[in-house]
Amino acid sequence: MTEAEIYDLLVEKFGDKMVEFLGEEKTPIAVVQPAALHEVITFLNTDERLQFDSLMSLSGFDLGGGEQPLGVAYHLHSMSLNHYFAVKVLLEDRKNPKIKSVNDLFRTADWHEREAYDMYGITFEGHPDLRRILLEDDWEGYPLRKDYVQAEFYRGMKIAKEK
Amino acid sequence: MIDAIASWMLQFGALSWLGHTGASVAAVSLVGTALFIFVAANAIVLVYVERKVSAFMQVRLGPMRVGPMGTLQTVADALKLLVKEDIIPQFADKILFRVGPWVILVSAFVTFAAIPFSPTWVPADMSIGLFYVVSVSSVVVIGIVMAGWASNNKWSLYGAMRSAAQIVSYEIPVGLSLLAAVAVVGTLNLQELIHAQAGVGNLFHWIPIPVPNWFIFNNPFLFIAAFVYLIAATAEVNRTPFDIPEAESELVAGFMTEFSGIRWALFFLSEYANAAVVALLTAIVFLGGWQSPFPDIQGARIGMSVLAILAILWTIYVKYKANRFSIYPLLMTVVLAAMAWLFPAFARWLANPGLIWIAIKGGTIIFLLMWFRWTFPRLRVDQLMYVSWKVLLPLAMINLAGVAIWMWLTGAINLVG
Amino acid sequence: MTRLNAEEMVLNMGPQHPSTHGVLRLKLKTDGEIVSHIEPVIGYLHRCFEKHGENIEYQMVTPFTDRCDYLASMNNAHAYAMAVEKLMGIELPERVEYLRIIFAELQRIASHLVAVGTFGLDVGAITPFIYCFRERETILDLFEMASGARLLYNYIWIGGLAHDIPPGFVEKAYEFLDYFDDRVREYNRILTGNKIFIERAADVGVMPPEVAISYGVTGPNLRGSGVDHDLRRVQPYSIYDRFDFKTIVGQGEMGTVGDCWDRYYVRVLEMEESAKIVRQALDQLPAEGDVKAAVPKKIRPPKGEVYFRSENPRGELGYYIISDGTNVPFRVKMRSPAFCNLSVINEIGAGWMISDVIAILGSLDIVLGEIDR
Repeated sequence: MTEAEIYDLLVEKFGDKMVEFLGEEKTPIAVVQPAALHEVITFLNTDERLQFDSLMSLSGFDLGGGEQPLGVAYHLHSMSLNHYFAVKVLLEDRKNPKIKSVNDLFRTADWHEREAYDMYGITFEGHPDLRRILLEDDWEGYPLRKDYVQAEFYRGMKIAKEK
Repeated sequence: MIDAIASWMLQFGALSWLGHTGASVAAVSLVGTALFIFVAANAIVLVYVERKVSAFMQVRLGPMRVGPMGTLQTVADALKLLVKEDIIPQFADKILFRVGPWVILVSAFVTFAAIPFSPTWVPADMSIGLFYVVSVSSVVVIGIVMAGWASNNKWSLYGAMRSAAQIVSYEIPVGLSLLAAVAVVGTLNLQELIHAQAGVGNLFHWIPIPVPNWFIFNNPFLFIAAFVYLIAATAEVNRTPFDIPEAESELVAGFMTEFSGIRWALFFLSEYANAAVVALLTAIVFLGGWQSPFPDIQGARIGMSVLAILAILWTIYVKYKANRFSIYPLLMTVVLAAMAWLFPAFARWLANPGLIWIAIKGGTIIFLLMWFRWTFPRLRVDQLMYVSWKVLLPLAMINLAGVAIWMWLTGAINLVG
Repeated sequence: MTRLNAEEMVLNMGPQHPSTHGVLRLKLKTDGEIVSHIEPVIGYLHRCFEKHGENIEYQMVTPFTDRCDYLASMNNAHAYAMAVEKLMGIELPERVEYLRIIFAELQRIASHLVAVGTFGLDVGAITPFIYCFRERETILDLFEMASGARLLYNYIWIGGLAHDIPPGFVEKAYEFLDYFDDRVREYNRILTGNKIFIERAADVGVMPPEVAISYGVTGPNLRGSGVDHDLRRVQPYSIYDRFDFKTIVGQGEMGTVGDCWDRYYVRVLEMEESAKIVRQALDQLPAEGDVKAAVPKKIRPPKGEVYFRSENPRGELGYYIISDGTNVPFRVKMRSPAFCNLSVINEIGAGWMISDVIAILGSLDIVLGEIDR
């Protein structure tokens, strides 16, 4: 199935919980309301016609600091039917971004969500072990946010400034 | 040998003031020092050989820089180890940490006391020589557990525990396979064991191929026992494929992880001393020790010629099969054979028993151990136990019974009488 | 009867340990030799690839991708270049496509050689490792001829190559392929068929296909579990649809499908397949063509996003790039295969012995540079 067909299926099922479909992107991607994300992915994962059994990638992103939202993109692939789909959510609340974890559907989401938490501070609700993964446990701030300000010191060690 | 030296001292005018006790003590010290030099030299040479052998097996050159062909590399390394800082971990058990390596070294070293190097050279010709060697060499395990425990390092402890389990398990097949040979001769004296292997006989008593009268050849059960011993002994001295106590890729360096400098050098010294003991013991018990493979001058000539012919055939085979050609083995054997025919003195020397033969046999076994090490992967600890308890032990037991039956069949013992 | 008070011991494997293939730390909960829980601790080699990527121009990211999976630099740069090209809609000259395939597949052989050799090393066989490195050196010589470097090439550029191959390269490459043809037989003789090796690797660390898919395990590890999934076949990118090669899938010859031995053997056979692809690519290589013809003067992709994935020696390497229309990427996410492959270690490694955990880790073939990025 092509991405557009899959999106039609999703609209049929979820109606206005699907925000929009960016079909003209090089990798078409659907935007979903954060609250409906887990349902949508469960549907993609379990539906007979879709069978998305593998989560290729889970990426956090930041649309640019200030008032811009954070986001999470999910790229899915079906091993059995060999088709692709991508879903993303935009999280408006920068102070306390929250989204439901998909760790119960794909075990690979475990580390990917930890990484997104590590880099963007996005909390994945229902994640069994949400800790920093690449950075130190006591690192301050979320480095990949566009408005991240580098700390002066880390445990008394001076952090070299870029530029 | 000690007695001989002591009595020579007493006869020698300048030393007669020593008295009997003094002469004995002096002789023991003299022989001990000589043995210690031998053990140290042995380690230095074997480390070099091991490096070179592994290098050639791995299409490398090995050490080449220090001295001609890198011969002084191990000497340089030994010097480096001697002058290195002596590090003892802060939370180590200081006493055991210091004692452990010495226990290992001493137990490896005193084993040599009973090893006969030639018909006359045996430091202490004791009636229970074999028993002594086997029992003393197993004291190593105490040192290893000491070292592993004292290091206060989990990896070391794992290494020590593995080693203890392994050495204790493999003692049994080692003992039983040696016992098979003892059963044939009825003595534990190593010299007598060697004397019993003199001359030439049929292969496995009945097959009419003339072979030296070594135990490995004249009795099929001892043939098996030799391999059981070699496998079990490889495990006992912790060499690959049974090197799980030091298992470099698993336990970092096992019980020696925390050791450095001189103490670490002691481990190395004893490792190679142990390898040498195993090799020598295999040679003594199964391969006729210092006995020459040739019965007389004519035998030496024919034997060397057979060897040369085999070398020629091998060279042709390798050339044909792998398209590789090396002249050296061919040249060496042909020259030796020609010398045996041309110079009777050389042939006589070949036919005489002596140090050269035990050296050649022991060297071959050591090469075999090195070959194992650089070819095989390593067994897992449970597989190791499996091999010991479920394969080697039953095999050794059956073997022992087999030896008895064989002796009855060949008429060496008479059950009725 | 009183019971001994036995507790589990936490054993810290790494970050300095001979068999963790870099600076990985595994917290093992052990009961004697048996490991009951494995917790990987990663991040010791974190070099802020994604943060760097957001601050430098597109072409300048290529050297960083090289450094991520330092054993498969060509494949990484290839995937990144293809992702940006897809974003910009660049059509490549034929010659560039063929040369990229040649380099990518040679790199795959080189990477698998390291994987096979180090797996041997992990189970205690030292010699095969050196043999593998001997062959790898020859491949690195070829790379050195083309790019001037032996490890980090920066050779594949967005829209082309850094420069054309030097004269004599094709002949050398053919020479290598002829030489490599019966190497696999040699590895099989010294390692694959060795009884001890089979004992150590077969039936150990079995990874069922469902587990592999759920954990996002890809590449030879997934195929070792019997799943016929190779992106070069499933979703042919570049010009992989033009070549004739098999997807190697674990058969479980020595034990269960998906054990360490299968994962190892898939790599051994894949080297043969890659050699086949290189040979075909060399045969079909167009003689003429400017490798820089399609290199854009200014790399300024239109606003938009792309997720591009390709088959790296370790599995599925994905780049998620968001462009805001400037010459600096807005977001570069690298979905590294080894990251997902490592996450499965507790699932398949718990319950085995310490030695097995090392064998399993070796069979997963991780590169820490890629995990930590």
